[in-house]
Amino acid sequence: MNLDPSFIWTAGLSLLQALPETLWITFVSVAAGLVIGTAVALCRMYHIPVLSQLSAGYVAFVRGTPMLMHLLLIYFGLPVLIDGISSAMGWSFTSASIPLIGFVWIAFSITAGAYMSEVVRAGIQAVDKGQVEAAQSIGMTTIQTLRRIILPQALSVSLPNLSNSVIGMLHGSTLAYTISVVEINAQAQIVAADNWKYFEAYIAAAILFWVLTILIERISGWLEYRLNAYQRGGAL
Amino acid sequence: MIQLSGLSKTFGTQQVLKEIDLTVDKGEVVVILGPSGSGKTTMLRCINYLERPDAGEVRIGHLAVQGKHPSRRDIHQLRQRTAMVFQQYNLFKHRTALENVMEGLTVVQRIPRSEAREISARMLEKVGLGSKLDHYPGQLSGGQQQRVGIARALALNPEVILFDEPTSALDPELVGEVLEVIRRIAREGITMIVVTHEMGFARDVANRVVFMDGGVIVEEGQPEEIFQRPREERTRQFLQRIMPEPNYSI
Repeated sequence: MNLDPSFIWTAGLSLLQALPETLWITFVSVAAGLVIGTAVALCRMYHIPVLSQLSAGYVAFVRGTPMLMHLLLIYFGLPVLIDGISSAMGWSFTSASIPLIGFVWIAFSITAGAYMSEVVRAGIQAVDKGQVEAAQSIGMTTIQTLRRIILPQALSVSLPNLSNSVIGMLHGSTLAYTISVVEINAQAQIVAADNWKYFEAYIAAAILFWVLTILIERISGWLEYRLNAYQRGGAL
Repeated sequence: MIQLSGLSKTFGTQQVLKEIDLTVDKGEVVVILGPSGSGKTTMLRCINYLERPDAGEVRIGHLAVQGKHPSRRDIHQLRQRTAMVFQQYNLFKHRTALENVMEGLTVVQRIPRSEAREISARMLEKVGLGSKLDHYPGQLSGGQQQRVGIARALALNPEVILFDEPTSALDPELVGEVLEVIRRIAREGITMIVVTHEMGFARDVANRVVFMDGGVIVEEGQPEEIFQRPREERTRQFLQRIMPEPNYSI
C-alpha cells in the first residue's frame, strides 16, 4: 500500500471548507437539545400531566432508536407532513424550499434533546433539597428558585456529562452525509474519490475531529473551573 | 401575632402533630423543647408551609392559611412574612455570603441592588462577618455559615424568624458564637420561634418555653416554671434525661 503523507495535508486543507457545516450542525443541535432537554426534564420531574407522559415517550423512543434513523425519518417524513398541511391550508410554502441542513438541524436537535434531558435530570436531582427549601423559605417562587438556584447548580454538576453530549453530537454530525449535506466526512469522501486516495483523506478527517474534540474538552474544562469556583475551599 | 390552630400532620401511619394550638405574641421568643420525634421540627416547618399540615390553620397577622391545599398565593405571602434558619444552614452554595443575604431582598422584595447590598453588608456586620462578604459558603466554618444564615433571615425583616435546631450540626466549640448572635437579636425584640436542645440558651433567652412530646404540646410556661417546677411527669423525665445535674442552687 502506498501512503501519500503530503496528501493528508492537502486533504486536510480542503476539509476546512466543510468545517463550518460541521460546527453549525453541532452547535444548533446542542443548543436546541439543551432547551428541549431542560423542558423535557422539568416536565418529567414536576409530573406535569400529559406533558410528562409525552416526554417520557419521546425520550424512550429517541434513545431507543439510532441517530441515523431520526435523520432519515425527518428527511423522508417531514416533507410529507409539511406539504400535506401546506396544501390543505392553501399556502404556497413547500418542503422543497427547506435547505438540506434544516432537516439535519431538526433531526439532531430531537436526538440531542432526549439524551440531554437525562443529563439535565441527573444534574437537577444532584442539587441538595435544602437549597430549594432555603429559596422557598425566603419567599422565592418556583420559577425564581429554578432559574436562580437549581439550574445554575445543576449546570455546574452536569458539565462533564454535557461535554460528553457535545462530543457525541459532533461525531454524530458525520451522519449528515447520508442526505448529501457536505460536512467534514462528506468532504473527505469527495476529496478522496477525486484523487483516489481514501486512506489519506480519512486520516485527515480523523485528525480534524480529534482536534475539535480536544478543543471541546478544553473549553469544558475551563468552564468547569469557572462555574465550580464556589466549590473550592480555602481563602480567596 | 402568630397563631396556630388545630395543626395536624400524619406521615404514613404516624401522626406527628395532633391538633396543635399555639399563639406567639409580637416580640416574643418562644423556645420549643422535646425529645426527637415529638413533632417540634414538623410544627416549625408547617408555619412556613415547607411541610403541609393535613388540617388546621396558620395565621400571621391578618393572613390566615388553611389546610392541606391553600392557594399558591397564600403560601407565598406566608413565606414572605417569615424567615427560617436551618439546621444544615442551607446557604446557596453558588453565592457568596453577601449574595446569599441579598438574594431575598433583590429577587423577592425587589429592593434596588445598591440598597440591598448596603442592608446585607450591615446585617453581615451585625453577625460579625463584615470581613467575609465575598466568601463562598464552602470557604466558611459551620458557625460562620450559620451566622450568614441568620443574617439572611434578618435582612428580610420578617414578622417572625423560625430557627430549626440552629446549632445541632455545629462542632461544639462553634455553638457559642451562633447562640451569642441569636441572643443578641432576641434582645432587639424580633419575634422568634426556636427549636433547640440548648437548655442554657432556652433558659436565658426564652420568654416562654413550650414542651412537646408525641405530637402534642405537653406544657408551656415561663422558663423558670418549666425548668424548676414542671407540672407534667413527661416534662420532668425529659429534663432529667437531658440535664442530669441537680436543678438547685446552693
